[in-house]
Amino acid sequence: MLFFRGLLAVAIILCGLVILVRMVAALPEGHFKVIPGIVLGAAMIALGVHRLSLIARVRGMM
Amino acid sequence: MPADYKSAQPELRRSVTPWGSFSWGYSDVGADIFVGLGLVLAWAAGASNVAFLFAGVVYVCIGLAYTELAATYPVAGGGQYFVMRGLGDIFGFIAGWAVLLDFTIDVTLFAWTSVDYSSQLLPALVNSVHPWLHFGVVLGLVVGLCLLNVVGVRESTTFNGVVSALDVISETCILCFGFLFAFRPQLLIHTMQTHWPSPYELMLGTSLAIISFVGLESISQAAQETQRPASIIPRTSVSLILTILIFALAYSNLALGFQPWHPITDAAGHHLQFWQIFPNNPDNQGKAVALLAAQVPYYGAFAALYVPVLGAILLLISSNSGVFGSSRIAYAMSTSNLLPSIFQRVHRKFRTPMISIVFFSVIAVVELVFAAAPALFPGVSSLYTRFFHGENGLGFLADLYAFGAATSYSFVFLGLIGLRLTDPLSPRKFKIPLNVPMRFRGERVEFPIVAVVGFIGIFSILMFTLFTHPLGRIFGPSWLLLGLLFYLVYRRYRRLPVLGSQPRNWRTAQTEILRRAGELELMDEYVANVKASDARRAGQGT
Repeated sequence: MLFFRGLLAVAIILCGLVILVRMVAALPEGHFKVIPGIVLGAAMIALGVHRLSLIARVRGMM
Repeated sequence: MPADYKSAQPELRRSVTPWGSFSWGYSDVGADIFVGLGLVLAWAAGASNVAFLFAGVVYVCIGLAYTELAATYPVAGGGQYFVMRGLGDIFGFIAGWAVLLDFTIDVTLFAWTSVDYSSQLLPALVNSVHPWLHFGVVLGLVVGLCLLNVVGVRESTTFNGVVSALDVISETCILCFGFLFAFRPQLLIHTMQTHWPSPYELMLGTSLAIISFVGLESISQAAQETQRPASIIPRTSVSLILTILIFALAYSNLALGFQPWHPITDAAGHHLQFWQIFPNNPDNQGKAVALLAAQVPYYGAFAALYVPVLGAILLLISSNSGVFGSSRIAYAMSTSNLLPSIFQRVHRKFRTPMISIVFFSVIAVVELVFAAAPALFPGVSSLYTRFFHGENGLGFLADLYAFGAATSYSFVFLGLIGLRLTDPLSPRKFKIPLNVPMRFRGERVEFPIVAVVGFIGIFSILMFTLFTHPLGRIFGPSWLLLGLLFYLVYRRYRRLPVLGSQPRNWRTAQTEILRRAGELELMDEYVANVKASDARRAGQGT
């Protein structure tokens, strides 16, 4: 179960990275208009990292 | 406060697990995007994602504040308790009364949109086609939820957990398929450039965006039933805050840069962008997520069948949490002498606070009548057009929802600042970041910068609400004034301080709260902090 949850957290981070890269690529033409998208990508990476840190803490306890 | 805690009241069982804590919050806040998306797209148009971003940043601050407060004071009272403890009785009442407005609106608004989502599969329920049937079904749901709560049938944590899990999976699939096959960043930028709203519309959209993030009271409500709340709540809250923020930003970005699977045309046959189906169309505004899901390539064929059902169930759970939550908040306010003791009375047979439940359900029905009146009676419709910019039922409910949330959250930020200054001895296992160390009344305290930022943000949203919502501007402050008048009369009648606060021993109360929470290490730390502080003061005195 922990492995599956870890996998999910990594998937969230990867999705966040994809969105971040696509938004940053559109930065030259979109300027500040892509900021919500950049925040979205960053929030996904933050969630994934948070989930991984929780899993790491649980593994440390076991 | 000792009177509140030392009485021989039955304690709530601490059976909520980390997932239970998450799903409890998710079933409350997660349903909001089902309501908020269409309304924001209708008004903020090409800046909808910016409106969600602004409201989302404020929401993150609110979420962090609630997390710290709920982990430090794990009691079921929620915002009104934190404000009462930090600022005093009268402010606690105002915050609690504003939350009660939100909970009663929650009952009606979510029952209303639950029917709107059902109308995607049952066209007879479309409000503009059969307004009386729509009204009757919403009324039936509100009355039914009231009766269920009186009898004592609550949604189970397991059921909430299953629905929340299904919804998280479903929304993730919709967004993944949407971003993979239908999202065009260039279209997003083009929409933002060509359909940027006026400042008035942007303010209106932003004030509506905050309704996608309402329901954080549930974090503190769940605190009293969560195992080891000081440890569990910060973990689940951060996940919940980020999940909700991601969904709101993802939906708004996707909707603006969305290439629909099937072409959408207006009555004249002109092609429309997806978001353009929402302005001036309350029927569509009430079921935005279902409409978007149906237009997602490939997955949409399947999503069109189940998303309306899942949305309707999730919204109904949220509506039920309004009935249940309002009675619980009224009960908590009553035990603190902010409301009459009648709100504590429980039914002899069912052991539920029947009077509270029925009282606030009746208010929810009155709000429903106000919201449905323009559609039901053409005469009233012209009245609304003349005096209230022609606001529709959904708009009326959303106005009041935004007003209640912005008011109570504003006070919660002030309560947090107050508690940081007046109660520095309580151990805070979770503390919001960015604090300035300083001394206050001889104690070392940390001043929270995030609370100031959050307060400025939510206060500006409150101002946007008052400026742009003709109905919210009248009914919201009227609700507060009426409640305040009632409070002053009640406190005078009971010979309690009218503008001041009752004397309470917060130290004893805090020790008892931590003991009941099972946070014995924190309780010991608190007692040690108090002793050290007293010794320091005695030393300074001599």
